[in-house]
Amino acid sequence: MASSDERPYSISIPDSELDFLKKKLELTRFPDELEGAAWNYGAPLSDIKRLVGHWQDGYDWRKSEAALNTLPMFTRDIEVEGFGTLNIHYVHQKSDVAGAIPLLFAHGWPGSFLEVRKLLPLLSAGGPDHPSFHVVAPSLPGFGFSEAPSKPGFKGPQYAEVLNKLMLALGYEEYVYQGGDWGYALGKYVVTNYGHRHVKAWHTNMPLPGAPSLFKNPLLYLGMFFLSYDETSMKRLANMKRHRTKGTGYFNEQATKPQTIGYSLADSPVGLLSWIYEKLVSWTDEYPWTDDEVIEWISVYWLSRAGPAASTRIYHELTGGMTHDTDQGTVWTSVPLGVSYFPKEIFQLPKSWSHTLGNLVFESDHDKGGHFAAFEQPEAIAGDLRKMFGKGGPAHGVVPGKGGY
Amino acid sequence: MSDFPVKEYPFTIHVPDADLDLLQRKLDSTRLPDELELDGSQQWTYGTPLSSIKRLVARWREGYDWRKSEAEINKLPMYTRDISVDNFGTLNIHYVHQRSNVLDAIPLLFVHGWPGHFLEVRKLLPLLTEESADHPSFHVVAVSLPGYAFSEAPTKPGFGAPQFAEVFNKLMISLGYEEYVYQGGDWAHVLGIRAANMYGGRHIKAWHTNCPITKPKLSTILAHPSLIPRILASPFVKDAREAYATSKRYLSLECAYMKEQETRPQTLGYSLADSPVGLLAWIYEKLVAWSDDYPWTDDEVLEWVSIYWFSRAGPAASLRIYYEMSHGGTGDFFHGTQWIPIPTGVSYFPGEIVRLPKSWTRLLGNVVYQVEHDQGGHFAAHEVPERLACDLRKMFGRGGPAFGVVPGRSGYSLKKN
Repeated sequence: MASSDERPYSISIPDSELDFLKKKLELTRFPDELEGAAWNYGAPLSDIKRLVGHWQDGYDWRKSEAALNTLPMFTRDIEVEGFGTLNIHYVHQKSDVAGAIPLLFAHGWPGSFLEVRKLLPLLSAGGPDHPSFHVVAPSLPGFGFSEAPSKPGFKGPQYAEVLNKLMLALGYEEYVYQGGDWGYALGKYVVTNYGHRHVKAWHTNMPLPGAPSLFKNPLLYLGMFFLSYDETSMKRLANMKRHRTKGTGYFNEQATKPQTIGYSLADSPVGLLSWIYEKLVSWTDEYPWTDDEVIEWISVYWLSRAGPAASTRIYHELTGGMTHDTDQGTVWTSVPLGVSYFPKEIFQLPKSWSHTLGNLVFESDHDKGGHFAAFEQPEAIAGDLRKMFGKGGPAHGVVPGKGGY
Repeated sequence: MSDFPVKEYPFTIHVPDADLDLLQRKLDSTRLPDELELDGSQQWTYGTPLSSIKRLVARWREGYDWRKSEAEINKLPMYTRDISVDNFGTLNIHYVHQRSNVLDAIPLLFVHGWPGHFLEVRKLLPLLTEESADHPSFHVVAVSLPGYAFSEAPTKPGFGAPQFAEVFNKLMISLGYEEYVYQGGDWAHVLGIRAANMYGGRHIKAWHTNCPITKPKLSTILAHPSLIPRILASPFVKDAREAYATSKRYLSLECAYMKEQETRPQTLGYSLADSPVGLLAWIYEKLVAWSDDYPWTDDEVLEWVSIYWFSRAGPAASLRIYYEMSHGGTGDFFHGTQWIPIPTGVSYFPGEIVRLPKSWTRLLGNVVYQVEHDQGGHFAAHEVPERLACDLRKMFGRGGPAFGVVPGRSGYSLKKN
């Protein structure tokens, strides 16, 4: 299982890049704002002005870079059928526990490999009371410091191929999977294509089931008519409707015209900042973002290997330019599935519908946390994974020989 | 030019050197994205193509001369005027005002939409104000919507259709045009419906649209039962099927800009205010997609986008109309409007982005004039000005269905040549 051919990776942004960014920040031209707008029209001007000021004068990328470089990061060439070789950046934190469970952590948009940071010590820690994990957290192709595909058509199966091949290359023939946002959607492809054979179980903090259908989920379907949804479910659906009505402009643009918005995101630091910051705040559960945290998060996009525009293409590719759902072609499997519900997640369907996603063996409810659960509530996510995979848990021992202890 | 009794305040554009300098410095430090490898026919699949943007940015950096554009635009008769709007204070409004030599020319208010602006009237001006025994003449007022070009923007939330209509009407009345006609497409069409509802009959005597869309209301249909058979026949009519297909394509694939502008105009606004290439790509995508094979020159595009870049309130302000008109993306633009009883003229252009079956047009109002074209798109006044001018001449000219609709202003000279 030794990965002696792992190529360690250190982020080293050239000075010229940082100087260029500084120059652009100095040229920032702000819009005006309506009186009393608050968050109603989008990210507020006072927040954005403060953050831009901090980016110019207070934030130190080299300090972030040095801290990130203490993470065990690597790159590896992964061949993708029809797309050649992509050089993939990933974090690989091994546990001291020999029988630790290999876990692939997949981020989404506007997320990144940074989201695994707080989970690493929790998941890789050993002990008699809870299982331990070897954690692999890649930057998706087109994100962070991974290369991006150069041709159209890089869809769910291609992302899944990269993820699976990465694990296999690291010697993890059998592993488990965790993800939210695109990490959830790609999980469906990973499980559809590699379930049982390689992926032995999976967990998501952003379940996005469709409505039950008569033929696939007859009992649930009939339940829709005869059982009234409880107050919680109705509230969840109302939240969902609100998100769909007010919060999906970015989705539609990225799914239909990623190149058009890409010019702004590539060229304008404040444009990129506000586009992402709006989600960092509206999708979290009052997470107390520090300015440094926000700027570091945005900087990973600004300084990414393929540039920020590349990261938006996943929306176009996985929806066929907004002509179909993101899980088209995936199937229900009996691979054990765990789900965690966080109150401020943007997609909230009735919990009973989670059964349509897979073989639901674990559910956990939280009263705090939002879309970026691993970042906001790392103990909750780690706790759920420990319960699901630990002794007595419903997915204990799914990876033969790697019980986690 | 005959003596005009109303005092007007001439306006010339003069963008400060510092603003030009900032734009140049920004252009010089443009950072472009990459692009997926695409075949020729796929160029626009993911949005505005990189090759177009590279070419346009290069021209904008070196070659395109704003001062030359500015000097040409300043030859237009432009003015500004303070207009007070209930609950919104006073807005200083920019407009073009071209009088005809014909004293009894018909006063016409021309309004633009997004991403349009007052310059869309430019090619129409000589055509509409021309004196002739064969067709009517107009006094043309082309207003910059609040928040666009050189008009001030409202500073408070809630500036919606009634407020826009109030600005239009007060502007015309302040110029001595108590009674006038209205022409517009895009937002000007939607706002025109409201203006016609509020001031139709009393001030607006007739109106014309080149973008005839509406949201049919059951009450309207029931009030006009003679329309029902034609509406029901729609699925069987080729024109209706084509209109439906066009509209469906637009609504599902081309409307993301609208969703963002309706819900988060401020967020998008940071990009459009800060990034010339971002603004260029955002607008150019529509200039091409919404026109009918119009042969845009690079300088034409850059001049168009420069109006937004150098606008008085900045490009972000221009987006807010979407938010206000849709109540932050929760409502529809036509809410609260009624069937229009004043004479209504409609021109159908094949490249228009969203089209209703023609049988539905009468749900809009008292349609007295309809004409179908085989060329021209969303920016009709800019793309095919002769056709639009011709339509207005036919509608309002001798023998036309709206001839003499403005009392005492037939559009023809009393003198015989």
